[in-house]
Amino acid sequence: MTSVGSGYDLYVSTYSPDGKIFQIDYANKAVENSGTCVAIRTKDGVILGVEKLVPSKMLEKSSNRRIHHIDTHIGVGISGFLADARQLITRARDEAKQYRQVYGQPIPIKVLSQRIASYNHVYTLYGSVRPFGCSLIITGIDQYGPQLYMVEPSGSCIGYFGTSMGKGKQAAKNEMEKIKFTEISTRDALKEVARIIHTVHDEVKDKDFELELGWISMTETNSVHQLVPQNLFEEAEAFAKAAIEEANQ
Amino acid sequence: MDLKLSPFPTLEKQMPIEHGRFEAYVDNGGTVLAVGGPDYCVIAGDTRMSDGGYGIQTRKYTKIFQLTDKCVLATSGMQADTLALQKRLKTMLSHYQKEHGKPMSTPAIAQFLSNTLYYKRFFPYYTFNIVAGIDEKGEGCAWTYDAVGSHERVKYASQGSGNQLVIPLLDNQVAKFNQQIIAGGNVTSQQAVSFVKDAITSAGERDIYTGDYADIVVVDKDGVHWEKFELKLD
Amino acid sequence: MQQHVSFPVFGQNDYFNYKNPQTLENRMPVVDAKKKTQDPIVTGTSVIAIKYNGGVVMGTDMLCSYGSLARFNSIQRMEKFGSYTIIGAGGELSDFQSLSNTLNDLVTLDHCIDDGSKLSPSEIYNYVARVMYNHRNKGDPLWNSLVVMGYQNGSSFLGKVDLVGTCFKDDIVCTGYGAHIALPLMRKAALDNPNMNLEQAKKLIEDCLRVLFYRDARSSKKIQISVANENGLEISEPIELDTYMWQSGEAAVKSFSQV
Repeated sequence: MTSVGSGYDLYVSTYSPDGKIFQIDYANKAVENSGTCVAIRTKDGVILGVEKLVPSKMLEKSSNRRIHHIDTHIGVGISGFLADARQLITRARDEAKQYRQVYGQPIPIKVLSQRIASYNHVYTLYGSVRPFGCSLIITGIDQYGPQLYMVEPSGSCIGYFGTSMGKGKQAAKNEMEKIKFTEISTRDALKEVARIIHTVHDEVKDKDFELELGWISMTETNSVHQLVPQNLFEEAEAFAKAAIEEANQ
Repeated sequence: MDLKLSPFPTLEKQMPIEHGRFEAYVDNGGTVLAVGGPDYCVIAGDTRMSDGGYGIQTRKYTKIFQLTDKCVLATSGMQADTLALQKRLKTMLSHYQKEHGKPMSTPAIAQFLSNTLYYKRFFPYYTFNIVAGIDEKGEGCAWTYDAVGSHERVKYASQGSGNQLVIPLLDNQVAKFNQQIIAGGNVTSQQAVSFVKDAITSAGERDIYTGDYADIVVVDKDGVHWEKFELKLD
Repeated sequence: MQQHVSFPVFGQNDYFNYKNPQTLENRMPVVDAKKKTQDPIVTGTSVIAIKYNGGVVMGTDMLCSYGSLARFNSIQRMEKFGSYTIIGAGGELSDFQSLSNTLNDLVTLDHCIDDGSKLSPSEIYNYVARVMYNHRNKGDPLWNSLVVMGYQNGSSFLGKVDLVGTCFKDDIVCTGYGAHIALPLMRKAALDNPNMNLEQAKKLIEDCLRVLFYRDARSSKKIQISVANENGLEISEPIELDTYMWQSGEAAVKSFSQV
């Protein structure tokens, strides 16, 4: 790393001569070391999938969740430092709550995403702070339909049909390119997400992982964000394993 | 012809605007009493909750609250304050238990309740309490309070809307005031229970805020024993 | 004279609100000059409810009065909170709406926590009771009588909370004029028929609301009836009560005798 030792990477208040803020790059590194998170937007909903790496067999299943609810109509997937993400999630919940109190209606996903992005951005301006070591994929349904945004440590906030972050983000993006987002059904997308997570998982480097699936759909979940129910989860995971089996033969 | 104009009618005085000021206190009524014996204590309280007037909100609201295995709190007055007081004592006793590794003794609870009430001296809990149970020596004991924490240890006590009806009965039958022939011997807990039932039934006969059912509680070395007892529903 | 421009220096200004970084609400300025509710303005009248064999039924009319003026005649006075609870409110409408917002925030937070546990009727009842009591302690009451009902895990819940924080659970609960007029009728009906079914309970509520309409000048004949049972929660569409014909002259005298 060229930046190390140059002195330009110690504070976010200092640019390097070629116009970088290294602390932001480092924060992105923290995200890239984390399990993959992918999301796909369909006509009537959004699917979130997370490869939750399990560092110890002694961990109870379903602990250290990486998919969280923000409001009834919003869910986020996280990659990077859990503790940093928790701060953003608390903030997002407060924003959603405050928006409801002021305007009497659910917060639009875009507004929430931009507010979280602004919050992230403030942590790239002052020498006494560090950027958050996590990215969020924010999914939900509002008056404009299903929405999918990704918010990064730099404070960027971009909408997508499908996106990914974490270790396997490039592989996941390659997989996603084949999907026709405007045609795929939510149930099929669910299986695809499960398949992609299983495909990009690196058996050699990371042994154990737990798949986490969250979804929101106008037809399937009545526009409420929730974790995918047990039976559908198992179906999707079985599909994913079968697809990988087939590909390997 | 001169027209005589009558003066424009004015109101003699401005009618006061009707202001239903917020009344923070309500008396939900009810009678509680306690009689301490040599190794037991009997506590009774009716379960009627009035609406502050002639209405009965519910017929089954118990006024007696168990604080420890050796101590109960009987409260009449305002139900909302009673509930707040009970919750507060419950948490504080739980803190005490955790800090000291043992439950608070009944006399200590008695002092603690006084402090709690006095702390709210300028916005009092509208509650009239009896703390009763057995003390560290195993003897029956009772304390009575006013709303701001004045208290006294007594052999027997009564509080609430039927207080005036019950207290002479207790003076006569427990303290044996002004009696020519004094019946000797200790009263057993069974005798005390039947006597306390008579007392609260009598209160229910004359006091409209007392009635429906009664909780009869006996505290002795084996713990706290509850019994339901029927009063008149009128 | 040149104006000295001072740039905000981090550490001098509390950009991040270090004192309390967790919550957004605490950043809001505290408005100390507040007007306290000394008397209600727009009010609903009675709420009545009864447990039946397998659930709870509650009824209200849909009128909200401005003093003696029948101001709003189609206001729903019952709300669902979470999957198991309905609250019916009499008294100040705005205070109930404010309480509804608070409770919906609580329900949303419960959804976010997503631990498999859902807010129960008794939890909501206790929460509401504390909110009401804390407001009365500040001398700023929420001017309502609230009936909380629900059904969860095979058991019914019915309780009442008022503006000073008085709260209790019972099989029959009425507020306002309902406590004077409907409550005795309902207690009698429950005594005569201890195992009331849903239809009978609904009929009883409807009959009592009719009696209230006849005698309570702040009531209306447009009502709603809600039910909590094993099928979940249901708040009915507005129902127009059948009452006697309000003609003048002989017809009215005749029909009055049928009341």
